[in-house]
Amino acid sequence: MEQTDNQLIDAALAGSVSAWEMLVRRHEHRVYNLGLRLLHNPDDALDLVQDVFLGVYRNLYRFRGESQFSTWLFRIVHNKAVDLIRRRQTGPELENWFEEDIPEPVHDLPGPLEACLESEMNEKISQFLLRLPPAQRLIVELKVFQAMTFEEIAPLQDIPVNTAKTRFYTALKNLKIMMEAQS
Amino acid sequence: MSCPNTPELIADYCDPMVSAESLQRHRLHLEGCPSCQQELGRLRPVPARLLRWQNLAMPDWDRSSMIRPVPNRKSIPSRVRTIPLLARWLPLAASVVLTIAVLTQTRLEVNEQGWAVSFGASSKLDVQQLDAYLAAYSRAQEADTREWVQSALKTHGETTADSVYQWMMYMEQQRELDVKRMEAGFEQLLDRDFQTVDSVRQLASYVMYQVAP
Repeated sequence: MEQTDNQLIDAALAGSVSAWEMLVRRHEHRVYNLGLRLLHNPDDALDLVQDVFLGVYRNLYRFRGESQFSTWLFRIVHNKAVDLIRRRQTGPELENWFEEDIPEPVHDLPGPLEACLESEMNEKISQFLLRLPPAQRLIVELKVFQAMTFEEIAPLQDIPVNTAKTRFYTALKNLKIMMEAQS
Repeated sequence: MSCPNTPELIADYCDPMVSAESLQRHRLHLEGCPSCQQELGRLRPVPARLLRWQNLAMPDWDRSSMIRPVPNRKSIPSRVRTIPLLARWLPLAASVVLTIAVLTQTRLEVNEQGWAVSFGASSKLDVQQLDAYLAAYSRAQEADTREWVQSALKTHGETTADSVYQWMMYMEQQRELDVKRMEAGFEQLLDRDFQTVDSVRQLASYVMYQVAP
């Protein structure tokens, strides 16, 4: 019978390396693919994974089991991702962190999205996301790919739920513009 | 024409966890709002397009690096390890030993029989020995002086003997004069002390008189 996250956490806290590795293997691919979408670089994505699970291990004793482990994990993921995005950014992009303006349409993406191969599909999607302001990029990631509710996302970004919804709507509009321009 | 309900409506339509009441409310709104209908039709496919993302396999990495204990450093021979320890504590140990030696008046005596360590005040040099030493020194000095006077008398005759006698008398007078001057100085010093005490008394009584109501 497969062990639950809480059982693995208890075993890891008791010193079981195998339990810890099993817990990491269960969740790492979500964090890694989030990193690929948000940071657009496999090395940065791997850095994110390592940062996240280091943070998870250091704070594992604080996890009370009151919420799901994945919810708690993505709180750490969100903070680490924000840190990494900020570190990777330079100059004026930092000022556009919360900017809601529609970005310039993307004209340099070759071919229709539907015709792309799977590997190219990921590249296109990550390029769309990369052109969003970081706050919008994060909210799309958490809402679309991590299927979190707005009630869960809002406290992560320290904003009201309605602001989270408005930000998500703006991000969808921006993505639609980019997709239309590309196709 | 934009509708203020559009952001919430679009967001809730993309949220699989949205409540049935909210969805019902949005459906009622959509029936009468062409703007929201158009925006929903336009944006609803966007999340589905994003979900075409193909998850990539996680590259292998050291998952337990953060919990693996740091391996012990390569063992160093114990003799080498003790050298820095000695170097660190040797000055302190030397200071402590010297302090104890000073406080206990430790003495190391080396003679023909060998060496000996003793503690505390000397037990050999007492008052009687000191008096005996001073008496012997005085006798030696006296003998030297007598020998010098006899030698001078033999060399220079009676005239020189008279001069030596006069010189000794003069020295004796000077010594008596010095004693008298010293006594006079002590008396003056005592008088001044009395005057100072008297002045302080007068000052104290004056202050008490001024302070008292």
